Amino acid sequence: MGARTKMYIASTTIIVIGMLSLFVKGVDYGIDFRGGTELVLSFSEKPEFGQLREILGGAGFGDSEIKSFGSETMILVRTTRQGEGMTVATALQDALRAKLPQGSFQVLRQDKIGPKIGKELRQDAMYAIVASLLVILAYVAIRYKFSFGVGAVLALYHDVLFTLGIISILDGVTPWLNLEITQEMIAAFLTLVGLSVNDTVVVFDRIRENSKIYRSWSLEQIMNRSINDTLSRTIITSGTILIVLLVLLFVGGEVTRGFAFALTVGIIVGTYSSIYIASAVVLDNSLRKNKE
Amino acid sequence: MRNQFSKIFLILAAVVVSFIFLYPTYEDYQFRKNLASRSGQDSIAYLEQHQEDILNAKLKRIKLGLDLQGGMRVVLEVDVIQLLEDIAKNKDDNFFAIVKEVREQSRTTDESVIPVFGTKFQDRGIRMSRYFGNIRDADNTILSYLNDETEKAVDRAIEIVRNRVDQYRVSEPNIQKQGSRRIIVELPGVKDEREVQSLLQGTAKLEFRLLRDPAISYRIMQSIDDYLSGKVPSDTAAGSKTAKKEEKPKDALDDLLAGNKPAATDTTQEAKFLREHPFFSYVSPDQQNTGEGYVLETNRDRVIRLLARPDVRRLLPVDFEFLWSARPDATPDGKKFYRLYAVKRVPELTGGVIIDARASVDPNDNRPIVNMEMNAEGSREWARITGANVNKRIAIALDNAVFSAPTVINKIIGGRSQITGLESPNEARLLEIVLRAGALPAPVSIIEQRSVGPSLGEDSIRAGLNSTMWAVILTVLFMLFYYHSAGAMADVALVFNILFLLGVMAGFSATLTLPGIAGIVLTLGIAVDANVLINERVREELAGGKTLRAAIDAGYERAFSAILDSNVTTFLTGVVLYQFGSGPVQGFALTLMIGIVASMFSAIVITRVIFNIMLDKGLTPNFG
Repeated sequence: MGARTKMYIASTTIIVIGMLSLFVKGVDYGIDFRGGTELVLSFSEKPEFGQLREILGGAGFGDSEIKSFGSETMILVRTTRQGEGMTVATALQDALRAKLPQGSFQVLRQDKIGPKIGKELRQDAMYAIVASLLVILAYVAIRYKFSFGVGAVLALYHDVLFTLGIISILDGVTPWLNLEITQEMIAAFLTLVGLSVNDTVVVFDRIRENSKIYRSWSLEQIMNRSINDTLSRTIITSGTILIVLLVLLFVGGEVTRGFAFALTVGIIVGTYSSIYIASAVVLDNSLRKNKE
Repeated sequence: MRNQFSKIFLILAAVVVSFIFLYPTYEDYQFRKNLASRSGQDSIAYLEQHQEDILNAKLKRIKLGLDLQGGMRVVLEVDVIQLLEDIAKNKDDNFFAIVKEVREQSRTTDESVIPVFGTKFQDRGIRMSRYFGNIRDADNTILSYLNDETEKAVDRAIEIVRNRVDQYRVSEPNIQKQGSRRIIVELPGVKDEREVQSLLQGTAKLEFRLLRDPAISYRIMQSIDDYLSGKVPSDTAAGSKTAKKEEKPKDALDDLLAGNKPAATDTTQEAKFLREHPFFSYVSPDQQNTGEGYVLETNRDRVIRLLARPDVRRLLPVDFEFLWSARPDATPDGKKFYRLYAVKRVPELTGGVIIDARASVDPNDNRPIVNMEMNAEGSREWARITGANVNKRIAIALDNAVFSAPTVINKIIGGRSQITGLESPNEARLLEIVLRAGALPAPVSIIEQRSVGPSLGEDSIRAGLNSTMWAVILTVLFMLFYYHSAGAMADVALVFNILFLLGVMAGFSATLTLPGIAGIVLTLGIAVDANVLINERVREELAGGKTLRAAIDAGYERAFSAILDSNVTTFLTGVVLYQFGSGPVQGFALTLMIGIVASMFSAIVITRVIFNIMLDKGLTPNFG
């Protein structure tokens, strides 16, 4: 606990860098949240981006976005253009079919999201994250003390912002990793919230127990003791979860890769935050109260 | 020890129930495998033989989401503005100006359209009764009337879509209402977007078709039967066709009848009948001389294919067509069958003439009825038609599926008809929807459409299975390595956990999606947490000098509150996710929640029982 100032500084620094990246570079919203049409195409051999861009530009889709999806031969084409039914998707495909040799690609997936749906999904995602934080705050506050709930939720903010920052920084760095903000990614964030609070609660549980045993100790001593008591469990559990996440990341295929990546970052940060942030906030809060 | 028995019983019960739930999934897998290994004739024969079992297994297995099996998901929304425009009368420039404004505004806000519409009228000081309802109606009355109309339009749209999807013969379609005016349509395995689009969006076609005379209907069925059995057909044109059939012995007919077509040596009664009456074996003409044919649900596809054959079609007279009933009826012993109606090819009247249709109750005998009203032009035609066809039946067909075929009792003048003899209020309501579908289109627009190609689905399944396998292997090894025999126990719990998780999913007929598989994998990582908490605690207690048994008791007891709290918080985020997420993400939330509950049971109860048994037998579990 003595090192908490250093940890605050370290966390803040990384989060600030992440936030800077968020403001400057932003995150890549997927089709779910933007609305528009998206195609995932599988080419028999690595396509020329320039050529694809030229073809689509010629067909009046100059504003469309082209990027690789999971591997070099898989391409994601996206436009925010709206049209009746699947007309946009059909037009995109027709344009490519007309100019490329026959059978050079295959449509793996096509999505069309109307403008309304995109907006609703954005809203739902916001509600979901806020609701989960509130629910956790309430649960922890009821089971423990209100200040514990605040500590847990601050730790969660920390985890979410940290992970979001990392995602913003790493997005587009490698085609292997698709870090778009999709519905799955939101699911990853919510799961991250659940898992991270899981660690925090285990530490809190031990603090509650130890504070009954060592009545004469200061809160800081009890916290140190509790964190040490639960440290091996925290590491083992995070370790097993990390194992399965790494499996998902490397074996799970391109569709869940971004999801697995966000969770992998999240679980590491979450483990750290439940030790250094959640309890530290509770401690600082109680120290401040004692001073008053 | 007594406590122990009840726990063992509980575990066994859970295991048995899981296996029972999972059995159809296993069966389904076996059927698929067997089918894939057979070819042509053989596979059809196999299909025949196990038809009911296959259907049953399909219904109860764990379903695969569209992202895994490929297919299309379409979200339709009833275009309220279009609907308002359609039902308004005396439309003038003011009206169109308002419609245009509302349309503009609805692009940017999600507010319900109708109140916005109402406000616009108020702003301009125009009473809505100018365009809707009665001249004396207050605006509020009209607004609630419009709301009502919108809801009915959604029901109509659902009925139209269901009817068409049903005829398009998609296997296991899922059609459901979302919110107040959206329809989700999920069509597994469908690839042709354009076709589906026209299927979902085209205008519904409601027709009144005169039924052919029962005698003619029966004669045609007889001639098809004769033709198919190889007897000399009564029809003039069919002679050459028979010859053609003999030229190509591997005709489609053989394929169709394969498996059920008995060898010539088979002398049982049924086999003989099937050989001599290939058509009547599947279509039984109504004994009461209505001219209808009854076809068991399981035979419907076969009969459809039979009737679609060009040579069979040539046996039909020019003004003759078979139409199917839209829904199956059930016999008292629960068998479902469809009716085959023989109708005239040219409709007597189309649905555009219907002004209104309402389900109601006959005041005399409280039986459900439907009142139908036609416009002037329709009424004239209707009087002529009904007058000329008293005591004959007229089929009401929506997109070529017959919903009802009432008998004309007398000549109907004035366009107000009453349809009686309906079996239930539900049937009346359905008929109301169908009749109005012809009159008032339910304009829908596609607001979301996702399609996944089958190859991506296959890749996803493979990736999902691989990652599950690796996750299990690595977790099991890690626990063994770190906790020795106590780790082995956690591993046993893990296996049970997977079994329960899948069992519960099958029990709920839940849909497995790719994020759902990710949820299972993640559950594997989380599931051992409870055992880690317990084992760590036991180690501590051992280090504190307790005996093994006391340490285990204390470990389980003290770890419980932490296990409970940590699982509840994760579970709660799962609930939130399920509430707000859609489709695949809900699949993830579901597996996560089930996994958490299953893991608490298996990690706490099962491992404890094993420890106790070991201790009773004098074995000493090792906590590493």
